[in-house]
Amino acid sequence: MTTLLLLQQVDPPTPSLLAPDAGLVFWVAVVFGLALFILWKYAWGPITEALDERETRIEDSMQAAEKALEEARKIQADNERARREAEQEGQRILREAREEAERLRNEEIQETRERIATLRDQAQEDIAREKQSALDDLRAEVADLAIEAAERILGEALDQSRHRKLVENMIEELPKN
Amino acid sequence: MSVTPYRTRLAGVLALALLLFVGSPASVQADSVEGDPDAIGHSANGNYLDLMPIDKVELPRLLLTRHADGLSFDVYGTTKAALESGRYVIMDGEGNVLSEAETQYAINEKKHYNFPLAAASGPGIVIDFSITRHLLAVFLAALLLMIIGLRLGARYRRGIGREEAPRGTWQNMMEVLIIFVRDEIAKPAIGGKYARYMPFLLTAFFFILIGNLLGLIPWGVTATSNLMVTGTLAGFTFVITQVSGTKDYWRHIFNPPGVPAFVKPFLVPAEFIGLFTKPLALAFRLFGNMVSGHLVIVSVIGLIFIFSAQFGAAWGAGSVLVSVPVTLFVWMLKFAISFIQAYVFTILSALFIGMALEEHEHEHHEDEPEPHEALLDQAEEYVPGDGVSTTERPTPQPTV
Repeated sequence: MTTLLLLQQVDPPTPSLLAPDAGLVFWVAVVFGLALFILWKYAWGPITEALDERETRIEDSMQAAEKALEEARKIQADNERARREAEQEGQRILREAREEAERLRNEEIQETRERIATLRDQAQEDIAREKQSALDDLRAEVADLAIEAAERILGEALDQSRHRKLVENMIEELPKN
Repeated sequence: MSVTPYRTRLAGVLALALLLFVGSPASVQADSVEGDPDAIGHSANGNYLDLMPIDKVELPRLLLTRHADGLSFDVYGTTKAALESGRYVIMDGEGNVLSEAETQYAINEKKHYNFPLAAASGPGIVIDFSITRHLLAVFLAALLLMIIGLRLGARYRRGIGREEAPRGTWQNMMEVLIIFVRDEIAKPAIGGKYARYMPFLLTAFFFILIGNLLGLIPWGVTATSNLMVTGTLAGFTFVITQVSGTKDYWRHIFNPPGVPAFVKPFLVPAEFIGLFTKPLALAFRLFGNMVSGHLVIVSVIGLIFIFSAQFGAAWGAGSVLVSVPVTLFVWMLKFAISFIQAYVFTILSALFIGMALEEHEHEHHEDEPEPHEALLDQAEEYVPGDGVSTTERPTPQPTV
């Protein structure tokens, strides 16, 4: 009985780690191939595409932001320049207005001065003329008075015109003024 | 083609498989003091799920077999069902068919699924399509990857991350990885045409990463610790590389310019072999890295039982103080390696594709290395002491 039992006792051979196994290769090929195909279509494809898309968009938006910043800087610079120009323009206008006012004032003064001078000259001329005419009148009056006086004295002996001539000569001999 | 009835137990097995990774902390299997940690058996593929201490669950057998009565595709819920159908037998290591009594013993001892299966008559099994534990891990990794990928894809299609900023830790975290693959792997290694290869690189990266990480969970199975799995992934890289190959790429292999005629008979075969060694290195590197961590963890845990068996239970208990911290350390190392190896596989795939796409100027400057060569060196620096790397290191580092 024991010998029979001993005879029946068998141990399985040590399995080989390198044993070929075509069935397993087949299965793995099918499983891996299927996984590859399905994941290609529904996972890796969309994922890598999405990642690329996202990266492109991020890059684009960063470039756009940079461009916008650049533009903003340019606009700011433009504004600054425009402001400075406007300021200068204002100052120029102010200066010109001031100069114009100055000029006008000077002209006015000049004109007034000239008018005053003219008026003075005219007045002087008038005075001189009046004086002359007054002198002339006076002279005529004096002559008449003298003749009258002489006539009164001499009593109408003398010819009117001869007398006048005589008196006028006398007055001529008188010093002027 | 005859299909044997699909056992209802299969549904139960699949449900259990889903429960597989939701578990409490790993418990050390202490079925006997003598203990049989069996590091290799633990790391190897098998037609069962190890849910100890609850149970070991058999997995369905799908067999394309040429029986005496012709080719048929047989589906059984378990290996036991296949044996009981009478159409299949199990063999020992030397290929001798086990006797009726021996088979019965194996079934009673729940060892039968560890024996190689063979057809009872006729030329035998053509291809074994059985759902093995590593295949379940592959399914689970693919399922998780699909759930993660499709949910994430739906978010981007809805506009989150497209028109607006990504929301939440999860999306941001995934985006970091995706952008890492794009900017650190695809763009530098492939160049301008990188976009076409992004889906493959991303799928490979996340599939390997998830596969690696699943092995770190209690009861988890590392899909990538199977050479067939890593080999198939490398096969994808190989096919994509060759399909992408430019005229220049093929000329450099079969008629390298600027090489003396007498060198060509030596160089061309070497270049041709190089076509296949590159993906092979990929496969072995990933496999080696993932399986070695597994072996180390099981071995270190196994030390507890070896000490118990050799020197008594007290020694065994004492060795826990050393074994558990070491295991924890190796676990954390494996965690890091999970990411590193996913990265290495992906960047090397990308580099191979990039090399195939390259249009050479036919002016080789011997002294200045091409950019991808620098990247290649950098990538291989990440590989701690893998047996496949072509660069020799002066001091051997621990293989993890």
